Amino acid sequence: MFKRLTLILTLALLVAMILVLSMPMSAVAQDAEPTAIVGAFGGGETKISYWNGLTGSDGVTMNEMLAQFAEENPGFEVTSEIIPWNTLYAKLQAAFVANQPPDLILMHASEVPQFANFGVLMDLGPWYAGNGGWFDENDISDITYSGMQYQGVTYAIPLDNHGRGLWINTDMFDAAGLDTDPGTAPDNYEDWVTLMQAVTLDADGNNAADPDFDSENVVQWGYVVGEWPRVNFLSALAQHGGEMVSEAGQVTVNSDAGIAALQQTVDLVYEHKVSPPPAGFDTWQGFASGSVAVIPTGTWFRNFSVDQTDINGMAWPQVQFGENPATWFGIHAFMLPASSTPEKAEAVQTLLQWISANQATWAGSGQVPALLSVQASLDAVNYPSNILLGQTFTEYGILDYTSTVTQEMYAALDPELDAALNNLKSVEDALNDAAERMQQVLDRAM
Amino acid sequence: MKSKSISSNSAKGRWTLTLKSRETLAAYAFLAPFMLFFMVFVVRAVVEAVRMSFYDWHILRPMRPYIGIENYLELLNDDVWWISLQNTIVFTAITVIGTTIVALAAALAVTRPIKGQSFFRVLLYMPSLLSVGAVGLIWVWLLNTQFGIVNYGLSFLGIRPVNWLGDPGLVIPSLSLTTIWWGFGFPMLIFIAGLQGIPDQLYEAARIDGGSDKDLFLHITLPLLRPTILFVTVTGVISHFQVYGQPFIMTTGGPGRSSYSLIFYLYQIAWTAFRMGYGAAVAVCIAVIMAVMTSVQFIVLSRRIEY
Repeated sequence: MFKRLTLILTLALLVAMILVLSMPMSAVAQDAEPTAIVGAFGGGETKISYWNGLTGSDGVTMNEMLAQFAEENPGFEVTSEIIPWNTLYAKLQAAFVANQPPDLILMHASEVPQFANFGVLMDLGPWYAGNGGWFDENDISDITYSGMQYQGVTYAIPLDNHGRGLWINTDMFDAAGLDTDPGTAPDNYEDWVTLMQAVTLDADGNNAADPDFDSENVVQWGYVVGEWPRVNFLSALAQHGGEMVSEAGQVTVNSDAGIAALQQTVDLVYEHKVSPPPAGFDTWQGFASGSVAVIPTGTWFRNFSVDQTDINGMAWPQVQFGENPATWFGIHAFMLPASSTPEKAEAVQTLLQWISANQATWAGSGQVPALLSVQASLDAVNYPSNILLGQTFTEYGILDYTSTVTQEMYAALDPELDAALNNLKSVEDALNDAAERMQQVLDRAM
Repeated sequence: MKSKSISSNSAKGRWTLTLKSRETLAAYAFLAPFMLFFMVFVVRAVVEAVRMSFYDWHILRPMRPYIGIENYLELLNDDVWWISLQNTIVFTAITVIGTTIVALAAALAVTRPIKGQSFFRVLLYMPSLLSVGAVGLIWVWLLNTQFGIVNYGLSFLGIRPVNWLGDPGLVIPSLSLTTIWWGFGFPMLIFIAGLQGIPDQLYEAARIDGGSDKDLFLHITLPLLRPTILFVTVTGVISHFQVYGQPFIMTTGGPGRSSYSLIFYLYQIAWTAFRMGYGAAVAVCIAVIMAVMTSVQFIVLSRRIEY
């Protein structure tokens, strides 16, 4: 009898475990309207297949724009597929080999050489006004225009500039007696540490500068180093006067500048105790749940901050740890496969003309429209983060590393940065290992 | 001329088949669709992979120079390969042993004559029906350091938050735990079948001789389950050695490279770096290692099996 009871209780416990484990988790962030991963817009005869990696709230904005386009152009049907960026680039390779690429692709400008190198992208030079086309190259920054090109050929039409900035919890700043005006942001490492210490609190309310601060029991972090460490590192590297690859083709992430940049970031975790180690810490949910005061993120964070949190937040410029201000940014750009038929290219051109003419709507995604005239027209009430961060890209932005082996270079760098930030390797070892592998990649590509 | 498979009937001027030949031909005819599929999609793919491994093969590059065994030599000096191999072996060992134990325990529990036996069997099998994506996302939340229900439960015992997926010493066991929860259902069914195949008379005789439950389990159940255990562990090793989805979804190989698995690394080589030749060399080596491990298992576990 006892054995049977034990058995039944054991089984009941197992069942309870399975039921508990299978329960839907209640996320800290508020539920948002899900983005359609595959969406068909319109029902016209002219069909356009379109792949992009806009998995965040920017995908919602893009789908809204496509719906608007289809409504205004009833002869079109646009099928949009949203695929995570890394998977998108893998799928594209297979699609090009199978000669079945989509009609339109949104990619990062840093990927232009990787694909253009193999002759699979269409030359879009004739679409630019300088060649008698419709897209005005004088209405985009020089750095954006250069990002559209590879070996003198223009392969893309830019959609936006998106890049690094901060989001701060203004209530936490107010509580710490800090000014929330972005103009008061520190311009050196020591002052940033002081600021982050002021908004890092333990369970007793002591901040990280307090001698009684309990670093084992932190309830509010001043910063999070785990949010896309690579772009933080590349920004800090540039701030210290370094670069990822020298003009001579040498990987220089392990230069003095690189070591200083990464060491300062590591010190935020293990010396100054203002950031948790990256592994196991969900940065966005940390900000959304009110346990992070400053998150290094980017233009794409705008709608998440507004729609999916109750936090009073605002954009700030990227931290400055080195002598010079610098912040990483990239470009979303449209490309067509070289195998496009003239009819299909014509149809896609119509869509891109419409999107370019409506780039102001794209600002609603949080990204900074590529067209300078549209940037200038944004109003400060509705688009403060676009304007603020857009200005930083213009003034001291560093464009994403662009080469024929961008993905492979980053695949070599990312785990080493992660290892250093999680204290699994010293900064020097991590960057030396990264440099060695990255140099192998570069040498192979020569 | 009985042994001739095809005989001539000169009187009628036509060929006839013996019964044995007809049966043989029929067997091949039935096998043909599968063999065709197998040759085209398995054998040809394997041969092609081996061939690719001797080339500098980039998926979009038209020129693919022959480089001999260079890819294999590079592999020998590739630190990440060795890290991934070590991680994969540890993961496979923990997962296979854990899955076997949990599945056997569950099978023993649900073969007892209790009410709702079928209900419990279905319930325990249910996690196996989930996709790796769903399982990964569920467990990322369960094991989340800040918000996870596991750490929440441990907090009642006064245990500080554990960084399950962020501690290099815990990340592989955590992935194994996830996989065991997800995958023990199928081996449980196999064990149930194995347990039902053990004659009751053996247990009855042992009880008459004064055997305890422990004696019965150790000297009857376990020995007679050896073929089942062999099957479960061999298929488990083959399956778990190819782990990919869990590290991809739950850790992206981190922290650092602490949860890189071989297939995860293979995917990076082939689909991030687009180095299909080197990726093929990695794939061939993985296949060879799995073949060796499976052979060792057969040799060790098939001894003294009583069928």
